Amino acid sequence: MLLEARGVSMAFGSFKAVDDATIAVREGEILGLIGPNGAGKSTFFNCLTGDLTPTLGSVHFRGQDVTGLPPEARAALGIARSFQVPLTFEGMSVLDNVMIGAFLRTASTAEARDRARRVIERVGLGPFADVSASSLGTPGRKRLEIARALATEPRVLLLDEAMAGLTPTEVRQAIDLVRSIHASGITLVIVEHIMEVIITLAERVVVFHQGREIANGSPAVVTRESQVIEAYLGKRAAKAAHGATP
Amino acid sequence: MRRLLWPIAWLGLIAAYPLVWHTAFQQRLGALVLLYAVAASAWNIVGGYAGQVSVGHVVFFGCGAYGALATYLHLGLPPIAGLPLGVLASVLIAAIVGVPTLRLSGHYFSMATIAVAELVRLIVTNTEFLGAAVGLSGPTVPRSVMDLSFTSSLPHYYLFLAVLIGTLALTWRMENSRMGYYLRAIKGSERAARSLGVAAGRYKLWAYMLSAALTAVAGSLYAIMFGFIDPDSGLGILISVKMLIMAALGGAGYLFGPLVGAAILVPLEEISNNMFGSGGRGLTFVIYGAIIMLLARFQPGGLLDLLQRRLRPRPPAAGARRAA
Repeated sequence: MLLEARGVSMAFGSFKAVDDATIAVREGEILGLIGPNGAGKSTFFNCLTGDLTPTLGSVHFRGQDVTGLPPEARAALGIARSFQVPLTFEGMSVLDNVMIGAFLRTASTAEARDRARRVIERVGLGPFADVSASSLGTPGRKRLEIARALATEPRVLLLDEAMAGLTPTEVRQAIDLVRSIHASGITLVIVEHIMEVIITLAERVVVFHQGREIANGSPAVVTRESQVIEAYLGKRAAKAAHGATP
Repeated sequence: MRRLLWPIAWLGLIAAYPLVWHTAFQQRLGALVLLYAVAASAWNIVGGYAGQVSVGHVVFFGCGAYGALATYLHLGLPPIAGLPLGVLASVLIAAIVGVPTLRLSGHYFSMATIAVAELVRLIVTNTEFLGAAVGLSGPTVPRSVMDLSFTSSLPHYYLFLAVLIGTLALTWRMENSRMGYYLRAIKGSERAARSLGVAAGRYKLWAYMLSAALTAVAGSLYAIMFGFIDPDSGLGILISVKMLIMAALGGAGYLFGPLVGAAILVPLEEISNNMFGSGGRGLTFVIYGAIIMLLARFQPGGLLDLLQRRLRPRPPAAGARRAA
């Protein structure tokens, strides 16, 4: 197992945002994390990246317990992430933004610059390398998030709603990018709202509802489960769906 | 070679200044500009590059100033011999204060640094060894050239210029190294920086300690030039504010920002002090307040930021922007 959560719970006061989640990410797969708003996906995601330390349970990366490690130490081990609302380094150029990621594997400025340029080309931001990152629109910023994360040379990349706010054309372009990243040997965990994205990309999905994992399997199977339909659309819809397709 | 043309031209101009404008007032003014430029440049490392707005830097300034004159008073050595002592004390204080306070974000960090500075001022005001409320004096008559006490400000001018060049060279090296990039990333978004493997806590602390050490150097130079230090002139909050405003006006996070800010504000203050006498001190506060408001409202990046934004390359094409 590449990345594993064992009995992870995250409570904020008396509210349990994540309740006893046990999920394993296999090397080389694309795992989708879905669920309605407020299901605990993002909280769970932050427990994996180290932005939050779970109240209970543990997180393991390549067999090593990383529960107590801060995000920077996890990044060094090979866990990279993007943020749902892009956290662009506004005052810096696109190139400088990506160099921050590249510096994780080299102390040389020239070397970091070379590596960053290659990553920028790869994600299709080439013409924008030298402009200020603050001049990018949402799609550009989302790509920049991915470029920075890739520059850290991760083993697993966790994408938090990397396609939210994109137009259908942009979503297709982003899907191609994610495919090419996967093809280069990087394991992916994607949190996504857009079902189309999950179904086309993920080999396996985990469905969250009210902090619990309610289903786990291939997208085609999971989306037919009544519990999942109920979580998304309510009880009546679940019954109707099962009545229609027995 | 072309790249070096402008810096060399500027350097020549600055080196020639006190020879061309050679009255005592002009030379003293020049020396003061350079001295405050050193202090503001030191502040710039942690306040500008790393975006951790310290309003307590006067503590480190005081370390240097008191270190110099306490060494003279208690050991009979030239004040300059106390400089390493002041630097050491400031780095130590920075380490002790930095570990808990640098965890705080934004305004909370600034407020914590003010609290520390006021605390130190009160302690020193009540410490006989450091002159208490009366303060410490340097040698009244220079015993040797090592006392660095001169009637003319010219030697001070060139001494401060050398220290400023050293400070800026160090800052320039840092700016172009991994540490410089990391500090700017921390300023942009600490959370994003950490997700990319930046040990934010450690880098902020290093920047704070480096900044403290250089501020202490400025403090020692101040004490050497003026030959007197008391809790107000060595540990007063106005000195912290001056460092901050000079850097912010010129451009916080820009190599030459603090120098530009000092070159504007120091003459302004000296002239207002000369015109209005002791009442000019109050006017200085008014001017600083106005500058803070104007900067915050219209140009938070400072003057050099304004200049740079006019020179920066534009995005390739308006149409291509959405496609990216």
